[in-house]
Amino acid sequence: MSITLWDTSGTEVLRALATERRAGAMLASGLALTLVVCVHEKDVAAAEQAAMVAAQAHPCRLLVVVRRQLETADRLDAEVQVGGRLGPIEAVVMRMYGRLTLHPESVVLPLLAPDCPVVTWWHGPPPEEVATDPLGVLADRRITDTSLAADPLAALTARAEDYAPGDTDLAWTRTTPWRSLIASAFDALALPVAGARVEAEAGNPSAALLAGWLSARLGVEVERSDSGGPGVTELAVSLQPGPDGGEGQSIRLSRPDGRLATFARTGQPERQLPLPRRSLGDLLAEELQRLDADEVYAESLAQVTGTSGLSERSPRRSLIWRDPAMQAAAAE
Amino acid sequence: MWRARAEPLSRFEEVDARNLLRDPRDRRLPRVPDPCALVVFGVTGDLARKKLIPAVYDLANRGLLPPGFVLLGFARRDWGDGDFELLARRAAEQHARTEFRADVWQRLADSIRFVPGSFDDDNAFDQLDKTLVDLEESHGIAGNAAFYLSIPPAAFPTVLKQLDRTRMADSAERGGFRRVVVEKPFGHDLESSRELNQLVDSVFTPADVFRIDHYLGKETVQNLLALRFANTLFEPVWNSHYVDSVQITMAEDVGIEGRAGFYDAAGAARDVLQNHLLQLLALTAMEEPVSFDAESLRIEKHKVLKAISLPADLEAATVRGQYAQGWLAGERVRGYLDEEGVPAGSTTETFAAVRLGVETRRWAGVPFYLRTGKRLPRRVTEIAVVFKRAPHLPFAHTDTAELGNNQLVIRVQPDEGITLRFGSKVPGSAMEIRQVSMDFLYGAAFTESSPEAYERLLLDVLLGDKTLFPDHVEVEASWSVIDPLEQFWQGRRPEPYRAGEWGPRAADEMLAREGRTWRRP
Repeated sequence: MSITLWDTSGTEVLRALATERRAGAMLASGLALTLVVCVHEKDVAAAEQAAMVAAQAHPCRLLVVVRRQLETADRLDAEVQVGGRLGPIEAVVMRMYGRLTLHPESVVLPLLAPDCPVVTWWHGPPPEEVATDPLGVLADRRITDTSLAADPLAALTARAEDYAPGDTDLAWTRTTPWRSLIASAFDALALPVAGARVEAEAGNPSAALLAGWLSARLGVEVERSDSGGPGVTELAVSLQPGPDGGEGQSIRLSRPDGRLATFARTGQPERQLPLPRRSLGDLLAEELQRLDADEVYAESLAQVTGTSGLSERSPRRSLIWRDPAMQAAAAE
Repeated sequence: MWRARAEPLSRFEEVDARNLLRDPRDRRLPRVPDPCALVVFGVTGDLARKKLIPAVYDLANRGLLPPGFVLLGFARRDWGDGDFELLARRAAEQHARTEFRADVWQRLADSIRFVPGSFDDDNAFDQLDKTLVDLEESHGIAGNAAFYLSIPPAAFPTVLKQLDRTRMADSAERGGFRRVVVEKPFGHDLESSRELNQLVDSVFTPADVFRIDHYLGKETVQNLLALRFANTLFEPVWNSHYVDSVQITMAEDVGIEGRAGFYDAAGAARDVLQNHLLQLLALTAMEEPVSFDAESLRIEKHKVLKAISLPADLEAATVRGQYAQGWLAGERVRGYLDEEGVPAGSTTETFAAVRLGVETRRWAGVPFYLRTGKRLPRRVTEIAVVFKRAPHLPFAHTDTAELGNNQLVIRVQPDEGITLRFGSKVPGSAMEIRQVSMDFLYGAAFTESSPEAYERLLLDVLLGDKTLFPDHVEVEASWSVIDPLEQFWQGRRPEPYRAGEWGPRAADEMLAREGRTWRRP
């Protein structure tokens, strides 16, 4: 069920995976995709946990890549799991050291499930430029999480500038329940919109994307304000007054505690509904639901960062080689 | 704001185009119904507790219910809202698919109402009407309500007449949608089903009547359509040139589980064959619908059902069975006649197998073998398409002794997935060819998180999407298939089979006469 290989090679890992697959025969048939997870050592457990949840809805081969320190001897340690502690999936957790950290694709490429889409997920600060990470270049879909960046809003702008179709961000995934509720409230509305407002914890990238979405869809300015959080705390849309004049209607969805939301609409009783912040696994599962480019995300991202032409870019990237050792030498 | 589109707008897109926040490309946004009430009659029954209430909870947990949603129970109990809430909570805790979360329940509990009364009590229905009107104020349901009749068919007329009397079924007058959901059995023969359909359709409008066949809510059944119409590989061989026969099996390991009164009057053919098996047959045999909407699908299914022919010799091509005492899964179980409530000498069948034909160019001459039974070795539902043998085998006869027919098996439940069986060389120096299986499995864990049939179907009712609901013409066409069988079987004794066997020997003989065998599922 599990093989741990110390100081090994990519070929050994491949052989171990084949052996384990044969032993676990039935477990792993019907793979839908390969999920490559780039993660720092301290977050490995959280990433594995999330991938396990997501894999329940999307049978996948999980390749976890931990790039350790560069200044040491080249080395690869790997743990191969088929139907083991990570549930009914096949997984390889790899730790790379030395110059190997610059060439992780040499180990990962032969391990990709044949002809299945590849999704790379960075559980940590998103790369400045995806093309500099070989594991991002080989993927069909790339998932970042700007909320983990030191400056999430700046990271969002970087994402827009670097965007290629097939990129998404978990900050966008987090907006789905909000968007879903507000969109269904709009099903029953006919009046044009006067304005909208999003209130969230300072620097929350989901709030920015939510504002970008509303603004792109409704064609109005969306006001953004800060609150104590957690996450997004309020979303309000005001409508233009009807033909009979009078006060315009408004819709307000507020969630001060990160769990329970109040939905209020002019002329109707307030209603409460659960709107909990979702676990990482649930977010990832939603993200794996689609393996094509999310154009609505691109439009929202473009709107909020003031960039354009996102969907026209090529979905393929070519690797930009950056050698930290040479950069360090150049800096001296 | 209009943008150029490559494809014409479908019906749903037109609706969505009015809502600026919706976009067909935005597939993350689920469709959530308008605020509405779900009124369940017979809410203390088994179905409500094990399926409906848990499905409502699961929908709430997945965020698919509108903020203004009310679950309204109606039953003859001296209960208040709180008593019903307690029952509903227990049902959700025990049977819900998703994890039970107190905060989700708390919100749902605030919207649970109960109206006590019996079906012939005018006051109770007036009270129900008043409750629904009050909910417009308090929950903003805007007159939207779906009535779920989880009650014995005998009570249908009474309840429907009450709904008619109080004008609760009138969508136009109530300013919202008014829909009704009925469960099988849809009558017990063609005539009674017509009467029932007329009654339901006269109280509600035909478009607002939803007949539940929970098999159609299963992922694998919907996947059958994807398999056939989204691929190029299967459709070219999906006809009498390549298909030898089709076997559709629905086996249950349980007995009649205390439903003797209902079951003894119905039997396996009315209980399962008429609805589930014929629907599976229709989906397997139908032509490609022009689009994947309710109307187009109904047209194609109806065409197949009308094209079904019965064998000329009913004696030779149908088998009825009744389980006798035996051993099943390591336990001794009693025979049907010894079950509580079954009248002595009952001739009701608990197993039925029948050969049907589909008289179309595509299927002429291909037998469709349908079988269903209780107390069979295991619970399994599957559709097996058995292909013809290769017209010429360039191997020595002994090389292919173990080669059977190619088969494509759609496993509906359990182990949802698809199996392809074909011949392969056994490794070694001699040429020896043997049957092997290629399996596509949704995966053990995946099955757990794929929505229950009732979840999907309830949501579709509230959204008003009829794609997965059989129409009354389909129901009537199905009865036209079953009625001659029932007439033929009238007064005949079913063949006994031991509980824990795959049906009576006569069923095996029926296929053996035609040079075939049942697939062991």
